[in-house]
Amino acid sequence: MEGLFLKKVLITDDAAFMRFSLKTMLERNGFEIVGEAENGAIAAEKYKILKPDIVTLDITMPVMDGLQALKQIKAIDKSAKVIMISAMGQEGIVREAIISGATGFIVKPFKEETILKVFEKL
Amino acid sequence: MPEDGVVREPMLEIYLFEATQLMEQLEEISIECEKNRKISTEAINEIFRIMHTIKSSSAMMMFNNIAVLAHSLEDLFYFIRESKAINIDFEKLFDLVLLGIDFIKGEVSKIENDCDADGLSEPLVLKSSNLLQDMKKANGVIIKDDCQAKKEDTKYYISSYEKLGSEIKQKYLARIFYEDGCEMENVRAYTVVHNLKEIASEMYHIPEDIIESDDSVETIRRDGFLIGFSTLTSKEKVEEQLNEIVFLKELELKQVEEYPLELKVLKAKIEINLEKAISEESVFEKRSDKLDINKEEVANIIKSGKQQSIISVNISKLDMLLDLVGEIVISEAMVTKNPDLEGMTLDNFNKASRQLRKLTNELQDVVMSIRMVPVSMTFHKMNRIVRDMSKKLNKEVELVIIGEDTEVDKNIIDHISDPLMHLVRNSLDHGLEDKEERIAASKPPMGKITLEAKNAGGDVFIIVSDDGRGLDRGKIYEKAKLQGLVTKPEGELTDKEIFSCILLPGFSTNESVTEFSGRGVGMDVVKKNIDSIGGAISIESLMGRGSTISIKIPLTLAIIDGLEVAVGTSKYTIPITSIRESFKPKENDVIADSEGNEMIMIRGQAYAIHRLHRIFNIDTEVTSSNKGIMVMVEDNTKVACLFVDSLIGEQQVVVKALPTYIKKAKGIAGCTILGDGNISLIIDVSGILDR
Repeated sequence: MEGLFLKKVLITDDAAFMRFSLKTMLERNGFEIVGEAENGAIAAEKYKILKPDIVTLDITMPVMDGLQALKQIKAIDKSAKVIMISAMGQEGIVREAIISGATGFIVKPFKEETILKVFEKL
Repeated sequence: MPEDGVVREPMLEIYLFEATQLMEQLEEISIECEKNRKISTEAINEIFRIMHTIKSSSAMMMFNNIAVLAHSLEDLFYFIRESKAINIDFEKLFDLVLLGIDFIKGEVSKIENDCDADGLSEPLVLKSSNLLQDMKKANGVIIKDDCQAKKEDTKYYISSYEKLGSEIKQKYLARIFYEDGCEMENVRAYTVVHNLKEIASEMYHIPEDIIESDDSVETIRRDGFLIGFSTLTSKEKVEEQLNEIVFLKELELKQVEEYPLELKVLKAKIEINLEKAISEESVFEKRSDKLDINKEEVANIIKSGKQQSIISVNISKLDMLLDLVGEIVISEAMVTKNPDLEGMTLDNFNKASRQLRKLTNELQDVVMSIRMVPVSMTFHKMNRIVRDMSKKLNKEVELVIIGEDTEVDKNIIDHISDPLMHLVRNSLDHGLEDKEERIAASKPPMGKITLEAKNAGGDVFIIVSDDGRGLDRGKIYEKAKLQGLVTKPEGELTDKEIFSCILLPGFSTNESVTEFSGRGVGMDVVKKNIDSIGGAISIESLMGRGSTISIKIPLTLAIIDGLEVAVGTSKYTIPITSIRESFKPKENDVIADSEGNEMIMIRGQAYAIHRLHRIFNIDTEVTSSNKGIMVMVEDNTKVACLFVDSLIGEQQVVVKALPTYIKKAKGIAGCTILGDGNISLIIDVSGILDR
C-alpha cells in the first residue's frame, strides 16, 4: 500500500443511485471519493481539476458516454487509472475501452467484494 | 415519500427517489411520442437510458422482477434504435410501456410502504418479447437462432516486436481460470491478450474467438483460457504480470519447449491480421452519443427532469430549517420589541435591530424559496390521466397547461395532486361531451381541459377549466334541496353559492355512478384537502359552455402577514390576505334585522357583522360600535365585517398549529407568539364567516 493517504476516486454515472452505491462501497473500504460526475464531459473536466488516483466510468450516459470520456481522460493523462462500469451485452464497447487504455472493468450488477477485487489491484 | 418516523436505508431511499423520477419522465415522453406518432432519436436514447438505469439499479437492489421487465423493454428500444425501425405500432408499443411503468410504480409503492415487491412481471416480459418478435418481422429482420460468426473479422494479435534480435525468447503456456460470477470472461481474456501483446512476440489461444463468439465464455469457464506465447521477459516477471489479473482464480504457468498440439494447429491456420488502431470510422461510432439537437417537446421534458447542479435534500431537513427560521423571527421580535426597552432612547440599538430585521427577512425569503417547487410535475401527471380516460371514454380531449413554472411550497404540492386528479377526472367524465354531442352543439369535436397556475398576491391560483356542458344550476339546486343541504329559495342564492353545493358531502347529481366518479364522495374530499392547507375553492360555470374551478392556496403555510387586533386583553391576528379594509364605524351605520343579526351599510352594500368579543366570549368595555374598529374581511364566497376593540399593527407572524390537546376551535386557524411574549390567536376567516 502506498503511504498513509486514502486513494482518491472520481465516480461517473448518470444514475444517482449507482453513484451512491459505488461511493458507499468504496468509502467503506478506505477509498476517498473526491468527486462525482453525471456524464463523461463533466468527468473529463473534473479529472483535470481533482486529479484523482482512480476514475470509474459508466458506459451509457447522456452528453458524453464512458468510452468517449475514457479517451478524453487518457488524452489528458496517459497513466490515468480508469475502471469501466459496464452492463451485460456491452462486450464490444468494453473491448474497445481496453484497447483505448481502460485499466479494467466491472459488470453490473456488482457486489462489494467484486468492486474490491478490482480496486485492490490498482 | 417516507412517512413520519420511518427512516430508510439511504441507498434504498435514493433508489426509490430516482426510480419514481425516472418513471415520471418516461411516462411523459411516452405519452408525447404516442401522441405525435413519432419517436425522435433523442426520445429513443432517453427511453433506452431510463430502462437501462432502472435495470441496473433494480438488479443491484435485488428487485429482480423490475430488473427483468426493464431489461425486456430495453431490448425493445435497443432494436428500434439499432434497426432504425419505421414500422412501429405506436399504440401497442406505448400501451406496453405504460403498463410497464404502472407495474414498476406499483412495486416502488409497495417498497415505500415496507411491503414486499412481489409483483410478477413475467406476463409483461412475455408481452414485450412477443412485441419485439412482431416488430422484427414487420421491419424485415429475419429471426435466426444464433448470430452468424463472421470469421473474416476475427482478429489475431501479432506483436510488432517480432524481430527483436538474437536474444533468447522463451515459450510459455498459461491456463487462466476466472472467479465465478465475474462475467464477460471472453472480454477479460481479451484484456489478457491485449496486455500480453506488450511483451509477447506471438500468441495463440483457445478459445480462438474471444471477440465475436459468446460461446467462448462457456469454454473459458469450463476449461480455462489457454494461451501459448513467446517472450523475452523473465518467468518471474511474466508470472507477476499474470497474477495481477483481476478475478484470477487459478493460474497454471509453465515454460515449454513446444506448444501443445491444439495451439500448433492454430498457428498453422492463422490469418495474420494486424490489429488496427480503432479509428473514428469504427462500427462503434454509431453508439456514441451524437447529441441530436432536435428542439422538440421531448427535449423540454428531458431538461425538466435532468437538471445539473441540483442536490436533493431530505424534506425533513427543510422542515426543520423552516421551523428554526420561524423561531428566529419570533426571537428577533422578542428582542427588538422587548418590554424592558420601553421608553428608552435607543438610536444605535434601533439601527442595529433594523439591520437584524432585514437579515432575518432575507433568511426567511431564501428558506421559503428552497421549499418552493414548480407545479409542473404535478400538472404533467395529469397527462396520463387524460390519455387513459379519453381512450376509455372514447372522447377526444386536449390538455392545455399554462403557468407550470409557478412555484408552490413543497408541503402544499403534495396536497393538491389528488384534488387536481379528481377535478380533471370529473371534467373528462361528466363535463366534456362526446364527439357527436359537441358537433351537434357547434363546438370543436376535441374537448379542451385547461390547467392554469398563477400567482396573485400572497396566494397561488390553480384553475381547472373545461369547455364542456357546464353545470346545471337548476338541477344542482333541486338535488341540494332534496338532500336538505339548502334552505333558502333558489332565487336568493348566487350562482357561486349554488355551485358550491357540489362540494358538500353526500352530494351527487349523477344518475349513474361510473368507474371514475359519481359516488358523491369526491368533491367534498377535494374541499377537505384544500381546506386543510388553508385554501379555498370557487366554482363558475356557463351552461353549454363549460366550467371553471378555481383553487386558491396560500404561498406558504408557515409565515403570514397579519394584522394584530385587540379584543379585551386578548390579541388576535387576522391574515392580511383576507382583509379588504378597516374603519371606525358610526353608530347609525349599524342596523339589526328581525332576527337580531347585525349589519352595516358601506357604500350601499350591506355586510354582516361578527363581534369577536361575543364569538370568543371576551370581557371588554368596547361594545358599542362607534368605540371599536370594523375590519372588513372576505373568504371565498362571503364578505363581512369583524368588530374588534382596536388595531395594534401589521405583523409578520409564524403560524403554529394549535396544540393537539386543544380541540379544534371554530374560527381559530392557529396561534403565534408575539414579540412581547404574548400569545395571539390567528383568526380563521372562513370559520367565522360560516356562522
